[in-house]
Amino acid sequence: MISFRSTEEELAFVEVAKNLAKEKIRPQARICERNQKLNEEIVQEVQELGFLSLELSEDWDGLELPLISQVQILQGLCYGDLDVVQGLPGAGDAASFIRFLNQRLDTYKTDIVDELQTVSYLDLSEDWGTNIEVKKEMNHYILNGMSQPVKLAAQADYVLIAVMDSNGEPILFWLDSSVHPWHVEEGDYRLGLLTSGIARFTFDHVKISTDAILAQGNTAEKIIQDGRTRVRILQAAREVGLMEAALDYATEYTASRKAFGQEIAKFQGVSFRIAKMAIETRIVNHLVWEAALQADQEHPEAEGLSLRALHRAHKSLRYVTDSAVQLLGGHGYIQEFPVEKWMRDAQAQVTLYGRERQCLKKRGEQIIAGNREEVMA
Amino acid sequence: MISFQLSEQQKQIKEMTHWFAANEIRPIAMEADRLGKVPDEWLDKVNKMGIHLNTSSFSGGGGEESSRKSKKEREGNRMGVLATEQMAWGCPAITLSLPGAGLGGPPVQSSGTPEQKERFLSIFTKEKPRWGAYALTEPEAGSDASGVKTTATKVDGGYILNGQKIFITNGGRASWVVAFATVDSTLGRAGQRAFVVEKGTPGFSCTKLVKKMGLRANETAELLFEDCFVPDENLLGGEKLYEASSNKPSGFQVAMKTFDSTRPIVASMAIGIARAAYEYTLDLVRQEYPKGGETSALAAEMLAEVEQNIAAARLLTWEAAWKADFGLPNAKEAAMCKAYAGQMSLDVCSKCMELLGPIGLDGHLVEKLFRDVKIFDIFEGTNQIQHLVVARRQYAAYEVRV
Repeated sequence: MISFRSTEEELAFVEVAKNLAKEKIRPQARICERNQKLNEEIVQEVQELGFLSLELSEDWDGLELPLISQVQILQGLCYGDLDVVQGLPGAGDAASFIRFLNQRLDTYKTDIVDELQTVSYLDLSEDWGTNIEVKKEMNHYILNGMSQPVKLAAQADYVLIAVMDSNGEPILFWLDSSVHPWHVEEGDYRLGLLTSGIARFTFDHVKISTDAILAQGNTAEKIIQDGRTRVRILQAAREVGLMEAALDYATEYTASRKAFGQEIAKFQGVSFRIAKMAIETRIVNHLVWEAALQADQEHPEAEGLSLRALHRAHKSLRYVTDSAVQLLGGHGYIQEFPVEKWMRDAQAQVTLYGRERQCLKKRGEQIIAGNREEVMA
Repeated sequence: MISFQLSEQQKQIKEMTHWFAANEIRPIAMEADRLGKVPDEWLDKVNKMGIHLNTSSFSGGGGEESSRKSKKEREGNRMGVLATEQMAWGCPAITLSLPGAGLGGPPVQSSGTPEQKERFLSIFTKEKPRWGAYALTEPEAGSDASGVKTTATKVDGGYILNGQKIFITNGGRASWVVAFATVDSTLGRAGQRAFVVEKGTPGFSCTKLVKKMGLRANETAELLFEDCFVPDENLLGGEKLYEASSNKPSGFQVAMKTFDSTRPIVASMAIGIARAAYEYTLDLVRQEYPKGGETSALAAEMLAEVEQNIAAARLLTWEAAWKADFGLPNAKEAAMCKAYAGQMSLDVCSKCMELLGPIGLDGHLVEKLFRDVKIFDIFEGTNQIQHLVVARRQYAAYEVRV
């Protein structure tokens, strides 16, 4: 039955998340950005509430919530500030892969879940900007080269790598900094998501034994595909949270700001843009929810719907955050107001998480090949 | 629990209406467009099958039954949008020409007295195709529906109506029309009243059937009221409705309330049209386009965008319908889905025309759909009016009236 009603449990989670977002996360966002470091109190509170382990399984003391619940909670948290949420330690995006590899990684559970050691996820599918080579030699692999900038690299204790080796075989590697030393390139990051530890990894002929292979071949391919699907959905959900924040902030501002003797909201150039922001935000919300529902059902269309949701989220996020700055005028451009940061964070976010046109192209190829959902089904 | 899966009943209505659209409507769509009308014998046939367009829900006749479904979860609005998407996929002009109360149904259903509901909604039987209509727009009152100039002068036993209505769907053939008029123009919205004017009433006539860019098979009429006497019993809701809410713009509210249930229906029709264009184009791309290369990559991106936009509009529409089924205020969601679907569907048809290229000009369905769909961004409130409604709801919390 078509329904847009959240469960009581979801509503309770969202209320907690949103309160934390408004009362703690947003007031600290600027300071965190300036320090390029998260506030410990926030990290502790998020951990205590279980929001760092939404995606982890119960074996890993996680909440193991369905994606449809997770996306609502993440929306609530990112209503406070996307950058802060992206910078949270622990399993990060890798959680969407770890959940399929619990037993294999059991020895790291305490470090990641309790000690909040950080995992960075490195997807080497990108065909530009990275020159990492994974070469198979006898009974080990050699990893050499520099990655693109990725989230949580600066503070990573572990790296989960999804890659095709030189023979075209998909592999998931687990690198432990104490065993497989890597170098983090400092970089010069100024745009946004400055708390989230964006950096490049450099591997100098790192020898990786087969012990570090979590999965390969068909097993790895399936985990990578499912994990990527989940990451896309969870990232798109974060973007909804930021869009909601920007929409509400711009609405409130334009309702009180006066020009030419009246609230600027009364000018249709302003109010219609607010309406369009509201519509776009709702659209992305629904597309994310649909993708999450299908992923929860393990429906074969989930991958395509995740591409669709992420593409629209990126496009709309850029529009909504830009609109918020535009509607605040000069105030939108200065750092006394949060919207300029949100616009910067948004651009960094869409740059990190998949090119829009690639999402669209891949989805389109699936549609033409007949892998689309049956419209009539 | 959030779910986008259809219930068994919803699946059934979707499948049934799709079957009807594919087998009965689509085959005559191009010919009906050429003729500028839906063949009478076809209308007679489908009426005998019990297929009606009832814009508050799609049904095999009459809205009474669905409104009696009491304790069970109401799903009439969701069923309505599911069904009309399928029907419009077949052909929107034919769908709008289906017998039934049409846009006149919702105001009678929501504001009529029990006697009026019985009198006006029970005429839609299998014996003969009949239509209802909704007459709000005037030459000088389109988007600003509060500026209605048609007058209603109180006389013994009823009212005398004088004025003109334009752009009335099925207005010429309708057995009755819900017409809006003012009893005192100085009262503004509060002076408005809704009347059910029956065909054949002296002083009531159809003066013209207009020719249009698209939806050519569907009748769009101009109506004239010249000293037209309408009895008290045809005042929608009766005098009591207006007495009970003497401080409120009640007649206007009747008109506006209608939109909250009809806009999702109109949006779903636009979605059906867009989907028809998309599927037609997708089939062509699959069969005719070269595999790989620049053209194929371009098509992939465009089709992915089109499919995404259709899904986005559908989910907005489902939310508006879901809220209506639960009796929750849905003016904002209804305006959102209408605003988005109206504009999106034209864009989809345009993109599909681009993918078809010049051959699309020669006897292809998408060209007709492009002409048909433009009006969906205009009627039942223009795109700009929808944005205004959304913005008003958005600013309501700050007590700023935009």
